[in-house]
Amino acid sequence: MNILVVLRMIPDSAGELQLAEDGRGIDREWLDFQLNDFDDHALEEAILLKEASGAKVTVVAVGEGANRVLQMAAARGADEVVALQSEEDAMISSREIAASIAAMARAKSVDLVLCGVQSTEDVFGQLAPYVGALLDWPHVSGTNRIVANGAVLRVTQERGAGVAVTYELATPAVLGVQTASKAPRYVSGSKLREASKTPIGRATPELSGFELTAEIITLRLPVQGGSGENLGGNAETVADRLVTILAAKGLARN
Amino acid sequence: MKLIACTEGHSGKIEAFSLEMIAAARSLTQADDEVVAFFAGRDAEGASACLGAADRLIVARSTRSDVIPAETYALLLRDVIIAESPGLVLVPYSANGLDVAADIAARTGWPLISYVNEIKRLGENLTIVAQMYGGKILAECEVRLPAVLMINPGAFAAAAPAPIAPVNVQTIDAEPVLTSGKVKMVAIDMPDYADVDLTTADRIVCVGRGIGDEASIDLARNLATMLGAEIAGSRPVVDNGWLPKLRQVGKSGQKVKPKLYLALGVSGAPEHLEGMSQADLIIAVNTDPKAPIFNVAHYGATCDLFDLVANLSDRLRAGSGR
Ligand SMILES: Cc1cc2nc3c(=O)[nH]c(=O)nc-3n(C[C@H](O)[C@H](O)[C@H](O)COP(=O)(O)OP(=O)(O)OC[C@H]3O[C@@H](n4cnc5c(N)ncnc54)[C@H](O)[C@@H]3O)c2cc1C
Repeated sequence: MNILVVLRMIPDSAGELQLAEDGRGIDREWLDFQLNDFDDHALEEAILLKEASGAKVTVVAVGEGANRVLQMAAARGADEVVALQSEEDAMISSREIAASIAAMARAKSVDLVLCGVQSTEDVFGQLAPYVGALLDWPHVSGTNRIVANGAVLRVTQERGAGVAVTYELATPAVLGVQTASKAPRYVSGSKLREASKTPIGRATPELSGFELTAEIITLRLPVQGGSGENLGGNAETVADRLVTILAAKGLARN
Repeated sequence: MKLIACTEGHSGKIEAFSLEMIAAARSLTQADDEVVAFFAGRDAEGASACLGAADRLIVARSTRSDVIPAETYALLLRDVIIAESPGLVLVPYSANGLDVAADIAARTGWPLISYVNEIKRLGENLTIVAQMYGGKILAECEVRLPAVLMINPGAFAAAAPAPIAPVNVQTIDAEPVLTSGKVKMVAIDMPDYADVDLTTADRIVCVGRGIGDEASIDLARNLATMLGAEIAGSRPVVDNGWLPKLRQVGKSGQKVKPKLYLALGVSGAPEHLEGMSQADLIIAVNTDPKAPIFNVAHYGATCDLFDLVANLSDRLRAGSGR
């Protein structure tokens, strides 16, 4: 089985985000770029499938810092790594990259495309269903378990409220991974050093075939605070206040 | 113009956000516009009994399968789009909607905007406010119809449930598309609430990734015990295996409405808020003053959660000894 994994580098949004001067993006100058969490799980699931059934894993990465993450993927067991050229300082929209991924899947006779279920930078839709629809391959997102038996996949999807649904589908297919069957593995420094010699292929993007598209006019920060009361940053004072508040509402004691 | 509101339900229950999709569509109608609800699944009667806020209902009825795979749902919906030529299709941000929205957008070539919170219409143009970066940034977008939108649950107040007149219900047979579909449902696992049912819990202490490691969960668990609360976690905490899945709150976890929800080190991503923003009293502790959890909290504190847990535990312990 040939597996293609898509890794997207996105700004670390745990810290503070500043708006760019033109208001259409975020200021990327001082931001750390990191691998989209869900894509990390997609990579892990691919390597687990390789270990279980001997697949070939090709990893394509897009965005700032792609080379670094491709070396990490090689250290984790990817057979081939490719950087998809992207515009610097631009958001990575699924709608834009779907055609490139679909073309690569065709060119490399891929049986299974894996990517993360979503990326926080992606307001124009999800990658897996775009690629699935463009290739007319079956697709399922939100997966937390993938088992391959030859060309037949058993895929478990979370539906919310503790409900899980298992589907069967045949390859070729596209899956949007929510959680890998096991947590993404740690790679040692020595393995990373060894993998740094892995040659990184280059791919040029395909033009998106979509003529109609939406546009981001401006970005803004949400109005902060809601209507809640700020108790401050001193743990002792906060604890005192909370005890009073809970007592007043009859919630302080078991 | 016709506006299609996608609805969902399975196992005898119509999802509450279905009525929100109809309300969202209704809020955009002009003169002769028509809101058409689309439902695919087995519970055609359930849909007819509650989706009456729509002008019409199209049910793609299956006799066997309780859950319609998203791809089949999308193919059925595409046939309806071809037949009805709507100007707008609204899809909920759900496990199903995640797959349906982009699939439909790709197959029709129409634009798609996801994580939508607000929509304004000016003739054939929409201005939209959508969430990015886990709710930390809002994007104002513009799109020309026809278009597909994926709407956040909770963004629109639900329409009132009401039966729809049988003459306004059109039923199509989903079986041929289901049978030829490439994705087959083989099993559906329902939760076993024997251990804990957070949906009925009165008080919840929820830990997020800010708790740091598995061992630290015990500190929060002790505090929960003192408060007579259940312990719960955000998704990363559960994904790390620190708490069982049934203790996850949010979109893919449980939707809770306790009297007290104490969130420790939870950022408040939209998928988390979806599960808890209806709680009566929300207290959030997070060192980042810009964390979106503060947008729904009634009381917020920006201290270190470990300091707070220690201090609060001391006071509650002292109080109970009195
Ligand atoms: C389809 C789908 C479904 C999802 N379903 C769910 C779901 O059901 N439930 C859910 O929770 N998420 C869900 N998510 C994930 C969601 O998008 C977020 O990734 C998740 O909620 C983040 O969890 P968190 O807030 O614990 O972690 P983070 O976002 O990492 O936030 C940790 C927070 O802790 C704070 N912090 C760190 N240290 C301290 C300290 N010492 N004291 C105080 N504060 C501290 C930080 O400032 C930060 O705000 C889903 C995502 C998808 C795509």
